[in-house]
Amino acid sequence: MTKVPVPVAVTVNLQGKTVELAHLGEDALFGRASYGKYAYAVGCERLFGLLDRHGIKATVFVPGAEAEANPDYIAALVQRGHEIAAHGWAMEELDAPQIDERALLERTHATLTRIVGHPPRGFRAPHGKLTRHTLGHLADLGYRYDASFQDDDHPYRLDADGGRGMIEVPHAEILIDATLYAQRQTHDRAMKTWREEIEAMHREQCMIALTLHPRSDYGSARASRIAALDGLLSWVRGLDGVSFLTCGEIADQF
Amino acid sequence: MTSLAQRRQHAWPDGARCVVGLTLDFDGTSLERGRGQLPFGARSHGRYSAKCGIPRFVDMFARHNVPWTFYVSGYDAEESPDLVRAIARSGVEIGSHGYLHEGVDPGDAEPELLERTHLLLTEITGIAPRGWRSPSGHKTARTLRKLRELGYVYDSSDKDFDLPYLARYDGEERSDYVCLPNNTSSLDDFPFYRVSYTPPSEVLNHWRQEFDAIYAEGGYYNLTFHPRVGYGSGSPARVAAVEGLIAYARQHEGVRFVGMLELAQWCLERPADWRRDWSGQ
Repeated sequence: MTKVPVPVAVTVNLQGKTVELAHLGEDALFGRASYGKYAYAVGCERLFGLLDRHGIKATVFVPGAEAEANPDYIAALVQRGHEIAAHGWAMEELDAPQIDERALLERTHATLTRIVGHPPRGFRAPHGKLTRHTLGHLADLGYRYDASFQDDDHPYRLDADGGRGMIEVPHAEILIDATLYAQRQTHDRAMKTWREEIEAMHREQCMIALTLHPRSDYGSARASRIAALDGLLSWVRGLDGVSFLTCGEIADQF
Repeated sequence: MTSLAQRRQHAWPDGARCVVGLTLDFDGTSLERGRGQLPFGARSHGRYSAKCGIPRFVDMFARHNVPWTFYVSGYDAEESPDLVRAIARSGVEIGSHGYLHEGVDPGDAEPELLERTHLLLTEITGIAPRGWRSPSGHKTARTLRKLRELGYVYDSSDKDFDLPYLARYDGEERSDYVCLPNNTSSLDDFPFYRVSYTPPSEVLNHWRQEFDAIYAEGGYYNLTFHPRVGYGSGSPARVAAVEGLIAYARQHEGVRFVGMLELAQWCLERPADWRRDWSGQ
């Protein structure tokens, strides 16, 4: 594959109720603690339906526990052409004390491998938190890339950071829907920010990574936000030299 | 005689009507390291500074041929000595900016940290820094005493005035040390990109309005920005916002871009011009 001038990765952090379950029991997931349940009830299909209509193959970072609870849906996403990658087990903070990080990563790896039919090649840390050992564990498990960092305009090698043979496919905090929606920015303002940032990144031929969540609080999955995203994706598709790639494809191009 | 705060015409270098200081604070991984955090994942924004943000700013400043001032934490200089040295050798002033970008007043540890950073920057660049900007804004009389002892002639940290002024501490006004105020509420990128999450075009417009008012009045414009992502201006759209401000200022007659040490020395050569009225303070 020839290297594309401006790779665009649409990434989805498939965060459903594991977000709330990290702090609360199942019995408490009502009312304001029910946003996570929106994902599989409504949000995922809205979001992936939109991406399918645009012909965009997303990279979907899935917590192991979410995959285990929804194996058919995750397997179907693979059939639709999306890449499934690992996102911790159940929204743990990997740098929290008393976490057996290795066991957690292995369990997630095994679960996704079983459900998807092949091992995941990419990883994004839940909450963006890694330890100094995370990348080494991932390298041991055969991961090709990490997508947790927010520190570059282009992919780069992770050897110096402990990820032997791995590639970082970075994303950008400002292009994460949660960055703006968690701050209660309006849809118009969020899209204005994204257009300005993306337009300038495109001008300088930076890699562009959008990060979306299928949720109705900090995510993009409400009908109104899907409409805003629809307009944005149409505009991005019209930019010169842009190709939508999965993170795995971007890592392989490196 | 009109007090400095009321004076509307100042003797700026080259008879300029307005001086503009462009100040870039490195803010690499020193912040996260100072908090004991690993600068990985969502905490990796500081790594963007050396890799992407600083080179992008250096290119942009060179395209516009404007002076600027670079404030560097000791730890960041240790992590990127070649980058800091190259910028210093290009004629840009390097000021110091804490060791680990201390987020709170380091108290009794401060003098040693100031000295350590001072020696580090001197060794790396071959030039002893003479200007300081507080990391996170804390500054005390103890800071001033140590900075004076190390040979500093100015810092750019105070928010209590619109113009340069002679420093006063330990009950005495100094004619050999000047404060070059900045304003991290309105003339800084952090509040817009981290507090209000404002689109870059609106931030540029805000800074243009600041320019209009300052140009009409005293003529001292000090803009603070950072080369990281997250709260900083390192991304292409945000460097373009700073670039837009430079282009806007350039459209005005009598605008002079200054390095901060250059401005400090200018003021200290005519100390009588930069004495504040301290009554009631």
